[in-house]
Amino acid sequence: MRYPTPLLTLIRALSRLPGIGPKSAQRLAFHLFNRPTEEVLALARALEDAKTGLARCPRCAHVMATDEAACAVCTDPARDTALLCVVEQPADVLAIERSGEYAGRYHVLHGALSPMHGVGPDELTIALLLERLDGVTEVVLATSTTVEGEATALFLAQRLRTLGVRVTRIAYGLPVGGDLEYADEVTLGRAMTHRRDL
Amino acid sequence: MPRYTVSDALVLRRSPLPSGDVVLTLLSEHGKWRAVARKGRLPGGNLARLSLFHDVTVQAYRRRDDDLAVLTQVRLNGALSGLTRPEAYPYAHVLAELTDALTVDTHVGERLLAVVASGLRGIGSHDDPEAVALAYAWHVLELAGLAPQVGAAAARPTTVGDSPSATAGPAPARAEAMDTVAAPVCDRCGALATRLAVDAGRMRCDDHGDHVRDVWLGEDGARSLALAVRGPLRAAVLAPPEDRKRAWRALQAYVREHVSEVRAVTALAREPA
Repeated sequence: MRYPTPLLTLIRALSRLPGIGPKSAQRLAFHLFNRPTEEVLALARALEDAKTGLARCPRCAHVMATDEAACAVCTDPARDTALLCVVEQPADVLAIERSGEYAGRYHVLHGALSPMHGVGPDELTIALLLERLDGVTEVVLATSTTVEGEATALFLAQRLRTLGVRVTRIAYGLPVGGDLEYADEVTLGRAMTHRRDL
Repeated sequence: MPRYTVSDALVLRRSPLPSGDVVLTLLSEHGKWRAVARKGRLPGGNLARLSLFHDVTVQAYRRRDDDLAVLTQVRLNGALSGLTRPEAYPYAHVLAELTDALTVDTHVGERLLAVVASGLRGIGSHDDPEAVALAYAWHVLELAGLAPQVGAAAARPTTVGDSPSATAGPAPARAEAMDTVAAPVCDRCGALATRLAVDAGRMRCDDHGDHVRDVWLGEDGARSLALAVRGPLRAAVLAPPEDRKRAWRALQAYVREHVSEVRAVTALAREPA
C-alpha cells in the first residue's frame, strides 16, 4: 500500500534531518498527524521563524536574530574585548558560557578543517577572525580535541602568531569526577604531557 | 561468520551523529568496512582512541553479515600526533580519502593496510610530507591495479618547449637516462610519457599529447611517478617532482578519471603553490 503523497513528502523531509532514519521519520510523521492542527501549525511557524529570523553575527559568526546588529555577546559592554575564544560551533559558545569561567568574546568557525569533506580554510570564518584582531591580546583556541579540531587549532596558531597575538589552547585532561584507571591512554598521555605546577 | 570479530584497523573516516554515536570507516587486512561506536562522542567512550588516522585493534559485534558492526572494545596501537601539523594534515587526508575511494569496489587485500599505515607514519614524521603523500598516492593506485603503465620507455628526443627540464641538457644524455630507468609509457607508442591527458586520464608522450590541455609532468615528474608505482617507495620520496602543483594537478586528473573525485586532492591542485 502506498502512503498518501503529503505523508510521503513529510517522511522524506524528516528523514533528511541528521540522526533521523526512515523509521524514525515515519514515526514522527504519524505523531504529527495525530496532534491537534494548532500544535502542528505552531511547529511549522517556529521552523519558518527560525529560518527567516536567524542569521550569523557579522562580527563573530555566532547565531543572532536578524533584527539585531550583532549577537548578545558582541553587544555586551561587560565583556573583556582583549580576550577572544575561537570555537567550532555555536553550541560550543553555550557550553563555555555554562562553565561561567570565561568573560571574553567569541569567534565561531562553523566547522573544522577537513579536506576529505571539502572543508578548507576558505569554508570557515578564518578571514573574518583575522580581520577582528584589533585590541585583542589573547586568542584562546577552543576547537574540539579531535584530530580535525587539533589540526585547525595548529593552523590558526601558525597564522595568529605571525600577527603578534598571544595564542593559547584550552587544557587537555581528565574529566572531573572520573577515575584514572578508566581514562583512555590518549587523554591520560596528554594530561601527563600538559601537567602543571601546584 | 562469528558474531564477534577482532581486527587491527586504521580509522579512515569519522562521521559523528547528533545522537553521540560515531560511524567509522575502517581499513583492516580484510578490506574496508564500516562500524558504529555507540556514544563515541561522549566523555568516557572510545572517543580518543577512535580519532582519525589512529591505528587500533577493535572488537566488533555483528548479528548478521549485512548489519553495521558495533564496536564493543577498542585498543589503541598507535596515535600519529604529527599528522595534525598544518604541513602534514592535508596530505594525510589525501591518502585516507584516496584509500576510501579506491576500496569501494576493489578488494585490495592486506598489503594496502600496511602501505597506508606506512604512508601515514611517513607523512606524520618526514620533513617533506608532500613528497611522501604523492609517492604513496600513486603507489596505492598501483596496489588497486589502476596506476599508469610503467615500463622501459623507448628513448625519444624531447621536442616540446614548455618544460623547464626540456632545455636542461643535451637530448642524447636524456635519451640515455630514459633507457636505464623505468618510466611511465605513452599508451599509443610506448615512448616516455611526460603528459597526462586530462580528458582520458591516460599517459601521453610529447608527440601524442595535447600541448594545451594535458597536464605536463616533466621528465622529473614522470620519473618520480614511475618510482612511486614501481617502487622502491623510499626512492620515490627522495626524488620528488620539482613542480608540486603540477604533480597534484596530474594526480587529480588521473584519479578523477579512474577512481572518483577525491576532494583532498582537488583542494591541493587548486591552492596556490
